[in-house]
Amino acid sequence: METIHLKKNIEPELTIGMWFKNVYDAVRTTAIGMGITFKYVWGRKAVTIEYPEVREELPSNSRSRLYNDAENCISCLQCAVSCPVDCIYIAAVKRPTDAPKIKTKDGTPIRLDLKQYTIDTALCMYCGLCTTVCPTECLTHTTDYEYASYTVASMKYDYLAPDIRAWRTRIVKS
Amino acid sequence: MHDELASKLSSLVSTSSAVAHMATLGDSNVTVESVSILEVCRALKSEGFNVCQCITATDYADRIELTYILADFTKNLELLLKTNVPRGDGNGNNKDTLPKINSVVSVWNGANFLERECYDMMGINFVGHPDLRRILTPDDWQGYPLRRDYIVQEKYLDMVVNPPAKINTEDHMFGKKLREEIGDPKKVSVSWKDTSGDPIAEEEAKDGE
Amino acid sequence: MSSHHEPIDKIMLGDQEILKSDLLTLNMGPQHPATHGVLRVEIKTDSEIVVDAIPHLGYLHRCFEKHAEHLDYRGVIPYVDRMDYLGAMSMEWGYALTIEKMLGTEVPKRAEYIRVLVAELQRIASHLVYFGTYGIDMGAFTTFLYCFQDREEILRIFEELSGARMLYNYIWIGGVWNDINDDQLTRVKNFVDRFEPELHKYHTLVGQNKIFIERTAHVGILTKEQCLDYGATGPVLRGSGVNWDLRKNRPYGMYEKFDFDVVVGRGEKGTTGDCWDRYYVRIFEMFESIKIIRQVLDGIEEGPVMGKVPKIIKVPAGEIYMRTECPRGELGYHLISDGGKTPYRLKVKSSCFTHVSMLPIIAPGQMVADLVASIGSIDIVLGEVDR
Repeated sequence: METIHLKKNIEPELTIGMWFKNVYDAVRTTAIGMGITFKYVWGRKAVTIEYPEVREELPSNSRSRLYNDAENCISCLQCAVSCPVDCIYIAAVKRPTDAPKIKTKDGTPIRLDLKQYTIDTALCMYCGLCTTVCPTECLTHTTDYEYASYTVASMKYDYLAPDIRAWRTRIVKS
Repeated sequence: MHDELASKLSSLVSTSSAVAHMATLGDSNVTVESVSILEVCRALKSEGFNVCQCITATDYADRIELTYILADFTKNLELLLKTNVPRGDGNGNNKDTLPKINSVVSVWNGANFLERECYDMMGINFVGHPDLRRILTPDDWQGYPLRRDYIVQEKYLDMVVNPPAKINTEDHMFGKKLREEIGDPKKVSVSWKDTSGDPIAEEEAKDGE
Repeated sequence: MSSHHEPIDKIMLGDQEILKSDLLTLNMGPQHPATHGVLRVEIKTDSEIVVDAIPHLGYLHRCFEKHAEHLDYRGVIPYVDRMDYLGAMSMEWGYALTIEKMLGTEVPKRAEYIRVLVAELQRIASHLVYFGTYGIDMGAFTTFLYCFQDREEILRIFEELSGARMLYNYIWIGGVWNDINDDQLTRVKNFVDRFEPELHKYHTLVGQNKIFIERTAHVGILTKEQCLDYGATGPVLRGSGVNWDLRKNRPYGMYEKFDFDVVVGRGEKGTTGDCWDRYYVRIFEMFESIKIIRQVLDGIEEGPVMGKVPKIIKVPAGEIYMRTECPRGELGYHLISDGGKTPYRLKVKSSCFTHVSMLPIIAPGQMVADLVASIGSIDIVLGEVDR
């Protein structure tokens, strides 16, 4: 057999006078609170937006869906190295020496042919480390935030596929 | 402060053989023998170290190093108290094969959860702990995750840990296929980790850095 | 008193015998909104009175410390964000300070100012979440709406600054990612000017309300000795009447330059260390944060925001323990480096973890509803508890 001793919080003794004072205080302080809340009925603008009809414009440096402009990519693998969750998959082949010389937009010569550039968006944690190391600034965070999909497999974006490259005009701001 | 404290501890607790390690960079520490940890902690508490901030362990190849981070809120000091225990056998879920050390819960009650976490993550048996159960992982988990040689168990209850369907192999196969197609594996660079023996990828990775 | 194998003869509450029925085991959580995340508390009750409470943790465990051993020093920062997701800026700052101290990096003045600014804004945002959700715990829904409206403004500024709303990855080793522009500084100024009188209103609305006082005063008392014994820090420790704030006692960053007070609970409405005192400490800390933000806005200098950091960070071999004052208490990073590109061991001392371990001493003798008040008042974030 065991006896458990629990500690009782010491509270002041409740007298009749205290009881009435408590009731009075409760009514008074609640009325003050109601007064504060009541002021919100008029003169306050609505702070919420009605989502599908009204869409919020995100700030320009907002970190949302990633987009890689494959034409300007020099396959340097820096983004894949810096990625903490290893969600970027790149495969590139050395460009033959006799092939015509090509350059990116900012004049960096491309020495490797990009064969695959996939980002598993379901793994991505939007930390932004990959975009800051990109030397040609072809990999960017866009402000597109509506891309829910039905399967995990469709969250994998192959940036060489034509349908995904077609986003460029829609989501990338020059 | 550390030297004084070490000599004081050695005189107070004869078995402690406390040594102060002064660091040029970062924090210095006091190392004591693991058998005397309880007496040392009692002595330190009477010295004024009234708060046990953290108990942590580090796994080295030959030993596990326990660090007790103590603080004195009245004199505004902090102390890293270290002790070494052998590694023991960290496989499975058996308390008897683990290294043993006396629990300090009787000195600071806050050590209760901290020691439980240490037991759960690093596999150290705190003798005299009132309630030594796993805290962050399930009670029947095998192994101690923060050990360097920890391997995740294949099956937990009837669930497969890391099922092959969840491991991404598709993209890895792409690189393999590419290498076969091109014929010369040196011409292909890929971003994932199995780039050993692939000089271009390594070179590129170095350039990237 | 974790498990009762012996049959129970009687239960005494104070000097009064209360056993009316057998002990009933109740599971509070892990999907209970009042536990603020996925905390499961196994409570044993005798009718309405809690006899014992055992917290079960680990539902949000990601083994951050193991992850950190395989990441380069920059890559750890996004993981650090995800511990205390309501106070991510403070988490990042602590980590950045740890590495900077080992590297001996000089952080530019402007970056230091920005760090203080964002950390204090984050403290306000975090305390606003506490205030709002605590209102819900106590049955007052209005505060939640008010607080989230104000928090939204802070998050909007953070979003423009860093690009993300909650998990910023903004404070980097050596400085901060982006510079703050004059427009954003003006918005911060407008926000604190508008927010200060609002906060007084909220305090009148909730903190002075008799019903709220009845629910929180004399409830969930933690004495000074208990707090030190268990290693509690932050508002919980200050609520129990201990004047301890790392920003004052061991100043880091630029805090020694600023003039502010440490708010300490005095037992104004009940006993020192009760839920109302912890509420009081958090509310008035927001006023102190506003004071600091005003001083930052006056003193901020022009200049670069990123110091000189090598492209590949290799921390020299050694160890360090660095602690900072986060919204929820002290956060400590214990880093052991072997000179490589990744940490050899990175241990996080989380204040919430310590506070959860105090539940078994708060709970016994309380009503179940008061336990909800107590859990709400220690303000835990399960991401930091389980890591």
